[in-house]
Amino acid sequence: MSRYVFLFDLDSTITREEIFPAISKELGLTEKLRALSRNNIWGEIPYKQRFLQGVELFKEFPISEMCKKIGEIALNEKLAEFIRNNQDRCYIVTNILDVWLEELAAKLRMERNLFCSKALVKNDYIEEVFSIVDKNAVISQMVLPFVAVGDGNNDAEMIEAAEIGIGYGGVHDIAPAVLASASHVVYQEDKLVEFLERLV
Amino acid sequence: MAVSRTVIISCAGMGNRLGLGSTKALVDIDGKPLIIRHLEMLEEERDIRVVVGYQAEKVIDVVRKYREDILFVFNRRYRETGTGASVALAARYANQYVLSLDGDLLVHPEDMEKILACDHEFISGGVPGTDDPWMLQTYEENGREYVSSFSKNIGTYEWNGVTQMKSQKMQNGTGHVFQMLEPYLPVPFLELRTREIDTVNDYERAVAWVKNKFH
Repeated sequence: MSRYVFLFDLDSTITREEIFPAISKELGLTEKLRALSRNNIWGEIPYKQRFLQGVELFKEFPISEMCKKIGEIALNEKLAEFIRNNQDRCYIVTNILDVWLEELAAKLRMERNLFCSKALVKNDYIEEVFSIVDKNAVISQMVLPFVAVGDGNNDAEMIEAAEIGIGYGGVHDIAPAVLASASHVVYQEDKLVEFLERLV
Repeated sequence: MAVSRTVIISCAGMGNRLGLGSTKALVDIDGKPLIIRHLEMLEEERDIRVVVGYQAEKVIDVVRKYREDILFVFNRRYRETGTGASVALAARYANQYVLSLDGDLLVHPEDMEKILACDHEFISGGVPGTDDPWMLQTYEENGREYVSSFSKNIGTYEWNGVTQMKSQKMQNGTGHVFQMLEPYLPVPFLELRTREIDTVNDYERAVAWVKNKFH
């Protein structure tokens, strides 16, 4: 048995679609979300700013409603099963707020295995974001060798620092920074899970 | 019973001597990239790992157009390491056996069937045909031929880089694949018809071989 701990990005790695575009469709926010991206079209803005802008958009909805919608997002089921079966060694590293993740985390049995952003809450609404997860800080805390799986530019450093850093392109294209730093890349969920099983 | 096997195709290196501007696995052989010719012959294999380095994205794109269930393994140090390093990286966490193929080698389709039917370790070679070969010295015992050493000058066959070994034996190396094999000799020999594509002359010979239906 290996000593690996497994760190997973959530959005488009464990989920079968991008979380915020998917729920914005249901909440009638697609245009506003698009406008956000359009405003940024002339230059990339750092993830922190983008994240806070996104939260502003969704904070008008009750937390319980957001939680439910995020909990209903389709998952890559075989990967989800791997995570449940190895829950003692799997962790999710995501920027999404803890209070929005309760149902999804429960579905994955990851309630206690989350590195995520946090918010102050009042009467089922977000008051303020008080911490945004720093994926680099998470990896710098790691003592044991770890496996990291992700697809986005903000996963690249976690993937680079991992003993086995896997880029997963089953949902959408693997970001250039991940392609530049992964030890492995894979495009099919079955194949990803088959390889992860070898690493347990 | 089918052998528990991972196929490793090493495509990390540059095709400098061919003046291609791309890795040799992408060279067009009579209308198809070499790597696709490999994959066509490996249809039944369930665990294929392609090692990428130079122009990794280009290799990944070409392979994915043909087949999705491939694990790509990066050899980030492809400039300063040999194929041995690529094989070692891909042999970690593999099936019981690894079958190692160079991305720049064309194998006769009938001989690929012979390879895939083989359920034991082997080192393969063929009639010498390149300008700068590594040779295999072999001996016979109980009607079976074994490779006893690799040599620059002595031997009947030219080493072609194709080998099937227990994966745990192939996990350390930075140089040539044969250097990884040397500690385990003797190993059963398998004769194959192949064409290595290293120089422009090799390339022309390989294309002619394919056009002529491998005669």
